[in-house]
Amino acid sequence: MTETSRIRNFCIVAHIDHGKSTLADRLLELTHAVADRDMRAQYLDKMDLERERGITIKAQAVRLAHDGYELNLIDTPGHVDFTYEVSRSLAACEGAILLVDAAQGIEAQTLANYHLARDAGLAIVPALNKIDLPAADPDEVARELGVLLGRDPSEVLRISAKTGEGVPELLRAVIERVPHPGGDASKPLQALIFDSAFDAYRGVITYVRVHEGVLPSRARIRMMATKVETEAEETGVMSPEATPISQLGPGEVGYLVTGLKDVHQAKVGDTITLAGKHGAKEPLHGYREPKPMVWSGLFPAEGGDYSDLRDALDKLKLSDSALHYEPETSQALGFGFRCGFLGLLHMDIVKERLEREFDLELIATAPNVEFRIARGEEVTVVHNPAEMPTPGTYDRVEEPVVFATVVTPSDYLGAVLDLCQSRRGEQVDMSYMSPERAEVHYVLPLTEIVFDFFDQLKSRTRGYASLDYEPWGYQTADLVRVDVLLHGEPVDAFSSVVHRDKAYAYGRQMVERLKTLIPRQLFDVAIQATIGSRIVARETVKAKRKDVLAKCYGGDITRKRKLLEEQKRGKARLRRVGRVDVPQEAFIAALRVDEGASKGKK
Amino acid sequence: MSTGIYVHVPFCPTRCGYCDFNAYAGLDGLKPRYVTALLREVELAAPGWDDQDVVSVFLGGGTPTTLDAADLKALLAHLGDRFAVAPGAEVTVEANPDTVDEAKLAALRDAGYGRLSMGAQSFDRTVLSSLERIHDPDSVHRAFAAARAAGYENVNLDLIYGADGEGLDSWERTLLETVALQPEHVSAYALTIEPATPLGRKVASGAVPAPDPDLQADMFATACAVLCDAGYGHYEVSNWAKPGYECRHNLGYWERRPYLGLGAGAHSYRQDRRWWNVRPPEEYLRRVGSGELPVGGQERLEPADAYLEEVFLRLRILEGIPASWVEPGRAEPFLESGLLELDHDALVPTERGMLLLNELVLALAG
Ligand SMILES: Nc1nc2c(ncn2[C@@H]2O[C@H](COP(=O)(O)OP(=O)(O)O)[C@@H](O)[C@H]2O)c(=O)[nH]1
Ligand code: SF4
Repeated sequence: MTETSRIRNFCIVAHIDHGKSTLADRLLELTHAVADRDMRAQYLDKMDLERERGITIKAQAVRLAHDGYELNLIDTPGHVDFTYEVSRSLAACEGAILLVDAAQGIEAQTLANYHLARDAGLAIVPALNKIDLPAADPDEVARELGVLLGRDPSEVLRISAKTGEGVPELLRAVIERVPHPGGDASKPLQALIFDSAFDAYRGVITYVRVHEGVLPSRARIRMMATKVETEAEETGVMSPEATPISQLGPGEVGYLVTGLKDVHQAKVGDTITLAGKHGAKEPLHGYREPKPMVWSGLFPAEGGDYSDLRDALDKLKLSDSALHYEPETSQALGFGFRCGFLGLLHMDIVKERLEREFDLELIATAPNVEFRIARGEEVTVVHNPAEMPTPGTYDRVEEPVVFATVVTPSDYLGAVLDLCQSRRGEQVDMSYMSPERAEVHYVLPLTEIVFDFFDQLKSRTRGYASLDYEPWGYQTADLVRVDVLLHGEPVDAFSSVVHRDKAYAYGRQMVERLKTLIPRQLFDVAIQATIGSRIVARETVKAKRKDVLAKCYGGDITRKRKLLEEQKRGKARLRRVGRVDVPQEAFIAALRVDEGASKGKK
Repeated sequence: MSTGIYVHVPFCPTRCGYCDFNAYAGLDGLKPRYVTALLREVELAAPGWDDQDVVSVFLGGGTPTTLDAADLKALLAHLGDRFAVAPGAEVTVEANPDTVDEAKLAALRDAGYGRLSMGAQSFDRTVLSSLERIHDPDSVHRAFAAARAAGYENVNLDLIYGADGEGLDSWERTLLETVALQPEHVSAYALTIEPATPLGRKVASGAVPAPDPDLQADMFATACAVLCDAGYGHYEVSNWAKPGYECRHNLGYWERRPYLGLGAGAHSYRQDRRWWNVRPPEEYLRRVGSGELPVGGQERLEPADAYLEEVFLRLRILEGIPASWVEPGRAEPFLESGLLELDHDALVPTERGMLLLNELVLALAG
């Protein structure tokens, strides 16, 4: 056990691409935690998926030894979807390096993460990265940071995570400016789970921060929220490979192999204590169930492999405690699941894992938020537009809203304000960080963000504005369900809940989009958008008149036969809605909101 | 069994932008060797076909009339030596208007080419240039008159409709000028965009609009009306003829009778086997030069393949398929909607049905 005065627990918070992973690599090198030949770029980003997307999904902790200190570097997820996980990681630290790209300046995630870190009471060590870049403007960015932190710009360190310049000084500053943890080895054990992962061989592995008491290997332990008891099979630290140690003392950070088979039994935010009479009476505060914010129906692309999808979700759930799903039946898409996600990125990650790791082909309905429907005192929660009752049968509907932070070059401020306004935003405040950069806060309906807000923001500001947001409760809104009918048959997968003012435009857009996607049939097909029984938009796909091969002579016969066979296979892939044959691709394309909603954001 | 022989001549003066035939401009230097190779291939291929009754010979391309009349004469004579070409067999040569004059046509007729198929394509100058054809409407008139003067009494005119810039009016004028000439046979094809052609690439890039299928459907209806009024019988989706002038050679393809293809890229068919020669003329020359059959590939038709071909070819030639071939209930919707009609127990496509033949084939046989 290391004496608490020799321990520093810290994390790095930064906007995406400002150099967090690169800095982590330098720190590993500097403290010789990884032999140079083992050094692989961005050591801490573990999963392949993360490596490709350049994000860190799962937090992890590494113990570094330096100058007789035990430094625990706790990696935090960088995306809004995982705000709750970020907050748990921050709760395991006493300090944070606030890393800002000296060429980019402060961005929305810098601010959001800074506020979270400050609210968690962490000591902030500000640092500018990428000072080697010719475009870097460290003086200006240091000034902005000084204003943000209310400190002298000279306290802002300057480094290059790429060349290593300034990194030893930064490490020194962490030791000097970050307070050591408290904690008393004689008190009952209280250890915070700030991350958990599922290992196919060893079961659930949790990452913990001991606040009080001692967590010995092989002890009988209890999860205070889930009340699950188990044996601590192994305690250890990542340095950065897993290294077993006999116990974790107060202030220390490490991993714990629980022997449990399901991440739901050891949840992020829960407190671990000893089983029996030596256990703590109270858990550490702040545990919360992860709550899905975004919903979407997932269906097997070519019917039939519904049970494969179910098995895959069951497996995925073992390692993803935030994933929700329940069976759903769609007339148009068949059997599938309505899934709940923390956000759009989480949704994309799950879809991608299902397709990649489980080799499934999926159709996903457009993401939607949950709605609360109030009838007198009674409130029903709906996560599927198809379940939204008809107008007049309820008193009001509430939708979730978020507190959004947008940082933008001043030149685009007008465009940003227009966008937020047009998406039913309520401005909270607005300020200039410098003459060139402004920061605005809005309360926005989440449904607008889920729709295409992020893409619009990027395209209207040429990619220069950044966005971050956090849940902010519910508001009453005038929402209606828009249905889409093909040849008189409603297609449940295309139903959507939108604000009344936009219902007409939305209906028009869907109908026009479908007009280009529904292939011509042997009869005229009416495409209609309706609200209740009122038709708000209508288009017709005219019957096709010509589908014949002009010529067919000696050499063509084989080729033409093959074309027919191909056309036949194409027909087999069509789904029937009433009398209308709809290709798979039409569903996918019609349901695609806007690609980059999460991808651009990362 | 009655058999057809097809001979492919892959040379053209220039290449038309829409063309995906095995045709080449700028290979004229190969012509003498190509003719020699054709004669040689006749020798190589003839064994096994000697017992077949050859009822038609078709010289296609490319542009066969880019070869000298003497060579074409020698070729036909050689075929006559090696195969049982029936007396009165239909012998067709394809020609493009600018490659023939009266003298040449007379020589061809003399040599035994009794049927002439001419690539007129259109009588509208802008359509011809949009198709990148080198001739103009006057050349068609001139060549047609030359054919009559040379004694041709069985002439086909090929037409294409739906090129960029062609409207319904222009197409109707082309049809009227065509029937005014009174050819014995007319083929009218909807322009089809093949991806691997210069035109295909222009359409893909948006430089040229894709043909409008509805306009092409209207054009088809116009062709049916004008040609029928002028006394032509509609006997295949894209073919019309005065009574008795249906192309026997092409009917052979559609009735699934055997055919032997000679020349670069030519296809052959017999019983359950279809095979094809190598496409590039140089490779063809090399293969034949070394004394081998220049076969480039082949397929064996499974019964299901043969059935599908039988169905779609019968529907194309309006012979229709026996109602008993079709599962009960499948044809009814099309009979009701007027795409099919019942002609003595055979399901035959109507004029509207012909334009939706792919759908019909898949619905009936798929
Ligand atoms: N020139 C320069 N590039 C850097 C520096 N630090 C990081 N980068 C680059 O910036 C990009 C994003 O860095 P990364 O560490 O992945 O950022 P993260 O998203 O915050 O983890 C990568 O291409 C890095 O190579 C630096 O100090 N100088
Ligand atoms: S003349 Fe006929 S074969 Fe020759 S390039 Fe033109 S379309 Fe093709």
